[in-house]
Amino acid sequence: MADLKVEICGVKLKNPVIAASGTFGFGREYNEIYDISSLGGISTKGLTLEPRQGNPVPRIAEGRSIILNAVGLQNPGVESFIEKDLGFLKSKGVAVIANVAGRTLEDYGNICARLNGLVDFVELNISCPNVKAGGMAFGIRPESIKEVTLISKRALSLTPLMVKLSPNVESIAANAQAAQNGGADCISLINTLTGMVIDIERRKPLIANNTGGVSGAGIKPIAVRMVYEAAHAVKIPVIGMGGIMTGEDAVEFIMAGASAVQVGTANFANANAMPQIIQGLNAWLDRHNIADVKQITGCVKLN
Amino acid sequence: MKDLIAKVKSNQMIAENTYMITFVLPESAGDIRGGQFVNLSVGDSSHLLRRPLGICIAEGKEISVCYQLKGEGTKKLSKIKTGDSLNVLLPLGNGFDLSGYKNIAVIGGGVGIFPLIAAIRENIKHKNFYSYIGFRSKSALCLINEFDKCKSLTVTTDDGSYGKSGNAVDAFFEDVQNLNLDAIIACGPPSMLKSLKEKLLKNAIDVPCFVSLEERMGCGVGACLVCVCKKNDGNNARVCKDGPVFNINDVVL
Ligand SMILES: Cc1cc2nc3c(=O)[nH]c(=O)nc-3n(C[C@H](O)[C@H](O)[C@H](O)COP(=O)(O)OP(=O)(O)OC[C@H]3O[C@@H](n4cnc5c(N)ncnc54)[C@H](O)[C@@H]3O)c2cc1C
Ligand SMILES: Cc1cc2nc3c(=O)[nH]c(=O)nc-3n(C[C@H](O)[C@H](O)[C@H](O)COP(=O)(O)O)c2cc1C
Ligand code: FES
Repeated sequence: MADLKVEICGVKLKNPVIAASGTFGFGREYNEIYDISSLGGISTKGLTLEPRQGNPVPRIAEGRSIILNAVGLQNPGVESFIEKDLGFLKSKGVAVIANVAGRTLEDYGNICARLNGLVDFVELNISCPNVKAGGMAFGIRPESIKEVTLISKRALSLTPLMVKLSPNVESIAANAQAAQNGGADCISLINTLTGMVIDIERRKPLIANNTGGVSGAGIKPIAVRMVYEAAHAVKIPVIGMGGIMTGEDAVEFIMAGASAVQVGTANFANANAMPQIIQGLNAWLDRHNIADVKQITGCVKLN
Repeated sequence: MKDLIAKVKSNQMIAENTYMITFVLPESAGDIRGGQFVNLSVGDSSHLLRRPLGICIAEGKEISVCYQLKGEGTKKLSKIKTGDSLNVLLPLGNGFDLSGYKNIAVIGGGVGIFPLIAAIRENIKHKNFYSYIGFRSKSALCLINEFDKCKSLTVTTDDGSYGKSGNAVDAFFEDVQNLNLDAIIACGPPSMLKSLKEKLLKNAIDVPCFVSLEERMGCGVGACLVCVCKKNDGNNARVCKDGPVFNINDVVL
């Protein structure tokens, strides 16, 4: 049994495997299938200040080794989360990561202020359109990333800030640095890649929103490359995700420079994916006589 | 709700483009109610989404579901052989709660008949069922012997090649005044459920009516909010967890 414990920004995780935002709700449903206290952490569904109804259906489509989703941030709002779900997550002894989204810079500041001191991390989803800046996502340009990070960090005196980077950008390294310069305590990546699936019989996009976010096994090489680039551009810890289905996939992200990983779409394909990934990671380390997972963090050497 | 590796006992065609797959669970999945469904993996790593299929027959650890060939996943499923393993997550959703109702009309269209069969099997000893089931044509007909124990059965086909010509909803409304109903259960394509709702309203029939809905799913367990339907109060409900069975008056069809 290898040592899987990691510490990120002073927060201790029993292992480096975290449920990715939007795929795991607030943990209750998967806890009916297995005890979720075995996980390293849980990133919640993206929270907003007010409840949101999200996009029309269908909200999901499938391609080869990928899925496409456009849920549109349906969530019960931050107050409902604090009142009804936070206690449950805390009782499970997992690191609680509140994933948050906003329409304006002020939204981000306000929601961070509300969560300050209540959770283990706040994770900023910056792939949302900034309504005051013509709808361009906060997470596209380094300037706006730094700005949204600064305002969020200012509201978080007690809780570490994780900035979640979008892959739909020019330079992931520059954006990772922008988050670091804005005061991020760590970064996570990647969020979904924008895509489209067309129903050729109807000659229409399959999901109601037309475009959606691509995730799942097929995006892994892109995600690994981006995690590598980001990890080499910043000094703060990096949490990697994108298409992780097995323990070996997690090893790959850790070697690329991730201190921990998140798992999203794999939960849909296999409800027991996360416990199996933890087991697979441990088995791989044991097979290679590695006593501590931290020994392989960022160990990849370029050709 | 359990995530299990089942062994396939049989997988055979029961009508044109329609198969029944029977699998044996390694352990009991607990009580199963008609209208609940399984989410099954089609068994290759390129299809990341599981397919939701209504439970048709549940006898202890042996479960049968029926599926129509639609796209890649169901085609893949039809190739699965006896003895193969199948990853199944079940039972999911709420199912039909018929407690307190005695005389029940059953309205099913196409693949919508399968979850209704489970509801009938579960309750046939204590309740009276009056069934109306519709198919596209004679070649799509299947499992009608499952309705044998109902008080009455009307089969319709769109093209008149078997039974009554027309659809199950219209056939039901021809009889409705003569039935002393306590409840109605229905499952079928969205257009069928919509027409049922309109006609119940038009004919001022206020017998409780429960319908099973379909929506594309991600997790199937209530976590991802992918599978929502609109409720009349303006909120969303999760088809996989709050449903798939809803009171017809509570949802926008
Ligand atoms: C609760 C529930 C019970 C169902 N019960 C039955 C049943 O007993 N028998 C039966 O034949 N069919 C049933 N369906 C519909 C069945 O799930 C789809 O026909 C099937 O998933 C199509 O898969 P595919 O790979 O052939 O199609 P593809 O088009 O390749 O599938 C792509 C994706 O879309 C999803 N999808 C496509 N059509 C539907 C649909 N109508 N509803 C939900 N998801 C869909 C698939 O699950 C998959 O994720 C049920 C659906 C739901 C939601
Ligand atoms: C259905 C669904 C909903 C998601 N919702 C969110 C969200 O609310 N906030 C967020 O930051 N990321 C969200 N994501 C992105 C995931 O957290 C993750 O970044 C992405 O899916 C890549 O990882 P994966 O390939 O393991 O799924 C969502 C993904 C899916 C599939
Ligand atoms: S499919 Fe995930 S909530 Fe219904």
